[in-house]
Amino acid sequence: MVTPQQIKAWIQAGLACDHIQVDGDGHHFEAVIVSPEFAGKMRVAQHQLVYKVLGDRMKAEIHALSMKTFSPEEWSRQGG
Amino acid sequence: MSVQETIQQQVTGHPVVLYMKGTPQFPQCGFSASAVQILKACGVGEFYSVNVLETPEIREGAKIYSNWPTFPQLYVNGQFVGGADIMREMFQNGELQKMLS
Repeated sequence: MVTPQQIKAWIQAGLACDHIQVDGDGHHFEAVIVSPEFAGKMRVAQHQLVYKVLGDRMKAEIHALSMKTFSPEEWSRQGG
Repeated sequence: MSVQETIQQQVTGHPVVLYMKGTPQFPQCGFSASAVQILKACGVGEFYSVNVLETPEIREGAKIYSNWPTFPQLYVNGQFVGGADIMREMFQNGELQKMLS
């Protein structure tokens, strides 16, 4: 079974993250990701970037990943 | 007609299109159910929906068309808007209502 730690490591391996938190029960996961690579991108493009990093794992190992993505600027505006 | 052409025809032929698991009446996944609820809350009474559980070629083709690996997937005026998280976020900040009005 996939653990939140594994997903965190997979995302970090392909995406520079200022902050990342992944929780989940092995089937459904929730992630909060702050990355400078999100800057200037629409939310859709930000999520697409994460999906690209996870690649085929989204098809096979991860059933559902709920995401909140922020650029560092969006994150500081959030008070994060 | 190829699957990609079919999808293009679906998303450009209807103002609001939702690719989902199940039907609006009987969603078969919590995320798809919440997408339907959000559309209703935006005042969208009728929209074109595709049950990807019954159409495996569309299910695979839609992932490629939108470059998005999960369902639901919302299209407005032929444009890919996003999945359940983005719909919820855009609903909460009012963007989705604006887009659908």
